[in-house]
Amino acid sequence: MKHLAFKRGALILAVLMLSSILLSACSGSTKKEEGEVSPGDKKQEQVELRLGYYSSAQTDAKMQELVKKFQDSHPNIKVKTESAPYGQFFQKLDTQIAAGNAPDVWLSDGVLVPKYAERGALKDLTDLIGKDLKHDDYYGLDFNKDVNGKYWGVPQGIQIGVLYYNKDLFDAAKVAYPTTDWTWDDLKAAAEKLTLDTNGKYATDAAFDGKKVKQYGLTFFSITEGWMPVLKSFGGGVLDPTLQKSIINSPENKKALDWIVDGMNRHLLPTPADLKSFQSNMAPFPSKAAAMRIGIYARTMDANNAGLNYDVTLLPKGPDGKRFSPVIANSWVINKKAENQIGDAAWEWVKFWATTDEAQKEWASLGEAVPVKKSVANSDQFLNGKPANKKAFLDSFDFAGTLDVNAVWSEWVGKFNDSINRAFQGEIPVDQALSTADKDVQQVLDEFYKKK
Amino acid sequence: MGNTELAHTEVKNVVRKRRKKLNSDGKWGLVMVAPYLVHFVVFVLGSLLASLYFSFSEYDILNPPKWTGLENYTKLFNEEIFWKALGNTLYFAVLFVPLQTIFALILATALNQKLRGLKLFRLAHFLPVISSWTVILYVSDAFFNTRFGLANDFLNRMGLEPQTWLQDPHLVIPLLVLIAVWKGIGYIMVIFLAGLQNVPSDVYEAAEIDGAGTFRKFMNITVPLISGTTFLVVVLSTISTFQAFEQIYVMTGGAQDATAAGGPNNSSLVLMIYLYREGFSFLRMGYASAIAWVLFVLLFILTIVQVTLQKKWVHYE
Repeated sequence: MKHLAFKRGALILAVLMLSSILLSACSGSTKKEEGEVSPGDKKQEQVELRLGYYSSAQTDAKMQELVKKFQDSHPNIKVKTESAPYGQFFQKLDTQIAAGNAPDVWLSDGVLVPKYAERGALKDLTDLIGKDLKHDDYYGLDFNKDVNGKYWGVPQGIQIGVLYYNKDLFDAAKVAYPTTDWTWDDLKAAAEKLTLDTNGKYATDAAFDGKKVKQYGLTFFSITEGWMPVLKSFGGGVLDPTLQKSIINSPENKKALDWIVDGMNRHLLPTPADLKSFQSNMAPFPSKAAAMRIGIYARTMDANNAGLNYDVTLLPKGPDGKRFSPVIANSWVINKKAENQIGDAAWEWVKFWATTDEAQKEWASLGEAVPVKKSVANSDQFLNGKPANKKAFLDSFDFAGTLDVNAVWSEWVGKFNDSINRAFQGEIPVDQALSTADKDVQQVLDEFYKKK
Repeated sequence: MGNTELAHTEVKNVVRKRRKKLNSDGKWGLVMVAPYLVHFVVFVLGSLLASLYFSFSEYDILNPPKWTGLENYTKLFNEEIFWKALGNTLYFAVLFVPLQTIFALILATALNQKLRGLKLFRLAHFLPVISSWTVILYVSDAFFNTRFGLANDFLNRMGLEPQTWLQDPHLVIPLLVLIAVWKGIGYIMVIFLAGLQNVPSDVYEAAEIDGAGTFRKFMNITVPLISGTTFLVVVLSTISTFQAFEQIYVMTGGAQDATAAGGPNNSSLVLMIYLYREGFSFLRMGYASAIAWVLFVLLFILTIVQVTLQKKWVHYE
């Protein structure tokens, strides 16, 4: 009996709760509007700016230093920083945006800018950039330009892809260093001479055991450091210029994937499963288990920390001489809700970051990214140091592009990998992988863009 | 928080309705449990109902939910990958629950004897239980790493072909189950030990006089007399397999890349991982909520089946 009474009580509670949720859902929207009106009207000299960024211990210290300099030159702005490690930062950010209390300006991973822009969380910066930033003075402003010509962020620094190679491993195998004339086939021919099994036999040797590879010719991981540069330099790609339509099922892509799959079948490149035996997908090159890597600028840090004797050069050409260098432009973006003085203060911060030589130099000294300001990037401060041929990063801007980034980027990359990885593991033929990837990716795109 | 106030009035409403029946002790009782009730209504029931609402809407966290009716559910049932995730979940459960229950019972029986160093043995089997999955990941990597692992080293010495273990779509779930049993067995063993200590020793003595051997005693006395404990264990393990997340997340890709959890070709993608990926990586909270509710209904049905079946094999004293 007691049990029954409890059940009845619980049921009543449930009904009440449901009605209260419906009520609060209805009333919630009006409350928000009231809240928005009040702070804007107040005339205040002092503005508090909420600045969000993801960081490691190393970058956090530098960022605090720069925030202090900014406050010194902008005495009316008080910056309140909100930082967290990468994963937590973005998880928290999503919740903050939903609750309407995201930071006024934050650092967004380059691949996530459209995710926020197309869901209406960001301020359109087109006019501000046109007014205050000289287009030709900067690298990569256009990497944040959308299909309609609008700008949603200003790069904080640029990650751009080049070919990394380990000189010691090349010397040991008596292979000539990569040149700017290399095609992907030249790379593969070199990779064969650089892939080594646990018995010390190179892949060119008949006794080579592909099941026990100790050192790969080229490490290969997912999109940026994997298939995207290959696909695009073979003349293929994933999305058309509108970024809403898949162009996956093409003869160019087939050729590019055949090139990759052949490399994996011959164990010159690790398959996705092979990569899992490493501590991280990024580990093979710094741990000397790969002679070459398609790497973005940020990878100089782990290569330098590992004390590698390495250098960089341009990524190889495709069969028709086309090149492609993948770019991720991590960017400052401004909250759509940051208006009036707060909006101005937010833009001041972005401007400070992009235009001040000091800020650019300080950040470049971390070795995290290529500076956006061309004068700083082309100065000795950036070009000196390891790797010797840093100029390759700047030269790569001539044929650089983003990773077909749109609002559902991580989702379509996931779907694309699902199919393509099966071809990489030799479970399905390339044709089938391409047609399923095409279908799955288009479905993801339609689900988001057709509904809008 | 408007919700808390509302929750307060609801509790009051319930109290008012019951007032006639309650004596003063009862009132005090209610007052004492009020904090819990408020917590329950706001954080448990509230979130439950909110997720039910989300499951009928399109909700990307960044914008308010839009009602879409049954769309999430129809999409779910037409999605190949959902059925794959469901299949993987059931496969995991079918392997894990019997394996863990049987081995834990055998272990508990063995450690219920009077042995020298008994506590040490019990402790040894309980140690994995208190370790975090991330730690277990490193231990299992020492075994199953395809390049440096002991398992491949062993195969190599035997002159056999190396395996890809957790990267092999056919091996991944059985391996995960083995590791999960190894980690979880100590906990279940403790529950069984408690059950075993309630079995009166005179029953065994009577059986011994009748000439029953060790195996007979185990099958005809121990097993039936602790069937109530076994039932509890089976229900708890079933629920835990349906909620399994951490292990599969860290061991099959999530530790390296959050969107990649789920193993080679999604071969270890279980419903919880699928839910996490859709909701938190791809911001499809509505769809993820629908997965959660399907999972709930499934578990509910399974538990009812288990409770119904218990009449056939569970004996209470």
